[in-house]
Amino acid sequence: MQSLGLEKVSVRFGAVHALSNVSLGLRAGETVMLVGPNGAGKSTLIRVLLGLVRPDAGKLTIDGRDRVVDNAFKTDLGYLPEAVAFAENLSGRQVLSFFASARGVSRKRVDEVLERVGLTHAKKRAVRGYSRGMRQRLGLGLSILSTPQLLILDEPTGGLDQEGLAVLWSILHDWREAGRLVLLASHELTLMERRIDRMCVLQNGKAIADDSPAKIREAASLAVSIHLSVGNGAYDRVRQSLEGASPSASVQAEPGELIVSVPPLELKTVLAVASAAQGIEAMRVVEPGLDDVYEHLLSGGD
Amino acid sequence: MLRVARALVVHELLERTRDRWVLVISLVFASLASAVSLYARSADAAAAHLAGPSLVTLISLVVPLVALVLGHDAVVGERERNTLGLLLSLPVGKLEVVLAKFLGRALALSVAVGLGLGAALAIAPAAERAVMMALVFPTLKLGVAFLSIGVLVSAVARRQITAASMAVTLWFLFVFFYDLGLLGLLVVTDGGVSQQTIAGLVCANPAGLYRVEMMTLFAGPDGLKNLGLAVPLPSAALSAGIWAAWIALPPVISGLLLRFEKAKR
Repeated sequence: MQSLGLEKVSVRFGAVHALSNVSLGLRAGETVMLVGPNGAGKSTLIRVLLGLVRPDAGKLTIDGRDRVVDNAFKTDLGYLPEAVAFAENLSGRQVLSFFASARGVSRKRVDEVLERVGLTHAKKRAVRGYSRGMRQRLGLGLSILSTPQLLILDEPTGGLDQEGLAVLWSILHDWREAGRLVLLASHELTLMERRIDRMCVLQNGKAIADDSPAKIREAASLAVSIHLSVGNGAYDRVRQSLEGASPSASVQAEPGELIVSVPPLELKTVLAVASAAQGIEAMRVVEPGLDDVYEHLLSGGD
Repeated sequence: MLRVARALVVHELLERTRDRWVLVISLVFASLASAVSLYARSADAAAAHLAGPSLVTLISLVVPLVALVLGHDAVVGERERNTLGLLLSLPVGKLEVVLAKFLGRALALSVAVGLGLGAALAIAPAAERAVMMALVFPTLKLGVAFLSIGVLVSAVARRQITAASMAVTLWFLFVFFYDLGLLGLLVVTDGGVSQQTIAGLVCANPAGLYRVEMMTLFAGPDGLKNLGLAVPLPSAALSAGIWAAWIALPPVISGLLLRFEKAKR
């Protein structure tokens, strides 16, 4: 599978437009993240790809050809649902063994996967005794059991500790390196930013942005903050020179500190002025986080 | 697809075994059947002949309930536990998932009933063993038919608690109120409904058909005449057709309901 596309997909539940003309593309080696508030359409989009929801309009394409979600398509798909759950009475190994036999995967691979997600020590224990993080790891293991070309992860970070996150990062890394496709939905924008190639922002069933985090950040053009620690006596002088450096800069005075908010395009100018000013003891530049950019997008860019 | 379905069947059986369902139901059956059997052993010869019919009465009450309870969460339970999506992400259709779950649970039920009756057989007097052996297959048919209805309930209900209520209500309807309803019909129409129709209606209910078949087994057709049912029994083919319909149709309808439902948000 070299590419997967959803073209102008619409899904209605009664009067509710869960998805309206949403298009999304994934290419080999790409990791795409779906973000959006609850009810934005992320889960519906994933369920369309799983064949659980039949779209009212639009189509699915694989390598440029029209496809339907059939058994052949699902053979190449690994899925981690949000808040994954399993048969509580079965052990971790029994759960994976069931999915392995259903997918024609060897028992040896089950043990490899358990090792990879760090559950070898608990493989004979009933899932009922697993913590949330352990269940999530088991779910991650399940999703990669058959080494699928397309990996769909719904809220993959849920309940994971640092060690669990490291497992997740290594899986994402391997899938990218192997030229496979990953689609994930998450609210953890800051955690995910460095691990994704693109993010598709959904709101009220519509895709309002679809690009790399860097480009989305650039397009949002949110103000950058410069935090300046200013010595006694230089406070007013520094403040005046900064206010004069850029007409768009706003200066906020805090005890012992000045915070200058400046559009990205004028950052260099203001930094030059700040660097030349006398009496500045320390300087720190804080770029807006991806969370801020996301909030900005959802608010309509105001 | 067969591989996935086979794995699902084994998974269902394994789950029911691990949650001790099979063990508990086996013990229930073993206790009931053994109690009846022990009574037959200790009672006089005339009373001993009642062991079989007594067991039939017990089975016709307990098996439908056990089977409905076993089936009621097959689909809605997976839906509520958020595991249905995971199952349906396997390369298998929705109809096949439902059928595999039904088959797996039918196997679990068969194992439980088999073990229970088997235990009773072991301690039954030699004269009663043949009677008990004759009960095994019809009892499985009865159980699987009600399991099938339970699976349909699980596909229709949106919540497990609703499914449980529906299962218990259906048990009352099929096992108690159905016959009362037929009696009521006779009273209201002042005998205006033919015996043929009443007999047909009795046999349309799997619990009724089971009782009629078992009474015929123990007392012969004359036994039914003594009860006032002077009508021919359904032929073996018709009987088999009724059982096949009750066993096969509900899971198929459940699978189709799942396939054609527009998933909720």
